[in-house]
Amino acid sequence: MKLDTTGLESALPLFGTNCQMVDGFTAAPAFDLPTTLDFDGFQKEAIQMVKPAKGTTTLAFIFKEGVMVAADSRASMGGYISSQSVKKIIEINPYMLGTMAGGAADCQFWHRNLGIKCRLHELANKRRISVTGASKLLANILYSYRGMGLSVGTMIAGWDETGPGLYYVDSEGGRLKGPRFSVGSGSPYAYGVLDSGYRYDMSIEEAAELARRAIYHATFRDGASGGVASVYHVGPNGWKKLSGDDVGELHYKYYPVTPSTVEQEMVEVSGA
Amino acid sequence: MSIFEYNGSALVAMVGKNCFAIASDRRLGVQLQTIATDFQRISKVHDRLFIGLSGLATDAQTLHQRLMFRHKLYQLREERDMKPETFASLVSALLYEKRFGPYFCQPVIAGLSDGDKPFICTTDSIGAKELAKDFVVAGTAGDSLYGACEAMFKPDMEPEELFETLSQALLASVDRDCLSGWGGHIYVVTPTEVKECTLKGRMD
Repeated sequence: MKLDTTGLESALPLFGTNCQMVDGFTAAPAFDLPTTLDFDGFQKEAIQMVKPAKGTTTLAFIFKEGVMVAADSRASMGGYISSQSVKKIIEINPYMLGTMAGGAADCQFWHRNLGIKCRLHELANKRRISVTGASKLLANILYSYRGMGLSVGTMIAGWDETGPGLYYVDSEGGRLKGPRFSVGSGSPYAYGVLDSGYRYDMSIEEAAELARRAIYHATFRDGASGGVASVYHVGPNGWKKLSGDDVGELHYKYYPVTPSTVEQEMVEVSGA
Repeated sequence: MSIFEYNGSALVAMVGKNCFAIASDRRLGVQLQTIATDFQRISKVHDRLFIGLSGLATDAQTLHQRLMFRHKLYQLREERDMKPETFASLVSALLYEKRFGPYFCQPVIAGLSDGDKPFICTTDSIGAKELAKDFVVAGTAGDSLYGACEAMFKPDMEPEELFETLSQALLASVDRDCLSGWGGHIYVVTPTEVKECTLKGRMD
């Protein structure tokens, strides 16, 4: 299996062989494969290490005014909440966003790598890369690492010359084009709200509220999702962060506490 | 995830000045999915004795029914309520009966014994009693609860301060646990009254 190492090649042009100063930079970095007797067993363990990692809720959908992207912000290790403030929407470049689900390190590294390749494409071809092209670049890299234990479940959302674009890409090598996606352990709950409230011709505020409500509902039902519901909008001029609401407060905004009738009133008892 | 973490729970009891408080979370889940947000984990045995059962919810319900049965029999025979120390021994014996096929529960017992002295204790799933003078914890959020209680506990707190302290300790701990939370339930018991409150917490 030939690994696609184009993601790791240095962008520096090769100098003459007599220049020792840049030797460290020009040598293409490579991921060392471990020297074990049982490589398959090692791979299986590596996969099991990140398996419980997809505890999250992210969603994205295309509508009349562009693409709406939303995510929660909780990181969990088994039952323990390790952080309530993780950035799960990654800004690849000013007009493209990626969502993070699965291994945080994997998502962060490969999204940044994708950003580098998109910029190189712009410089080489004097025009922005399309969302189709960017998602294909990522999908091909992930396919070549298939079975090695990477855990990436991401959506690439952006606006290019053909209009809004949304692709789902995962570490099994899958790449799907579609109008609505939700990824993560909370995705069934988010789909419930998203699918029933979705209309193509919503305004930006309505779409943001739908996305926020879907993430809130997933954080309510799913134990591995929570924290802050961030909502981003990708329009013709690039992406813009619309809101970041704490879901603990969102619950009481949607369901305010109403004073209830008294069931049992305390009475004075003589000689307790 | 282990069988103790199947439903998710958080339980804590704390001692004050001639009073005690016992608190729990309100979530009932099936692994990561939340099924109910109003599950009762603490029940009253009699006016001065409360028991909370953490762990697998079905075992908690069955164990609760068996304990209520035994206590009612005791009341009929002895014509009085059980003392907390006696009740704790009863719980321990019932759990050890199932030593080789245990109930997957960890009970927390809290009561006022003779002279209005508060009594708290917890046992593990096979009946090892652990008496404490300050606080006892149980459930999936147990480790966080230990930390929070250790930091916030002061000896000889009045009922109002005890309520405040225990509520804050519980809510802070369940906010670090995926499997418990979604509100809180707290009972503050003094020799003259029992105060029951529902706590407003994060619903994620």
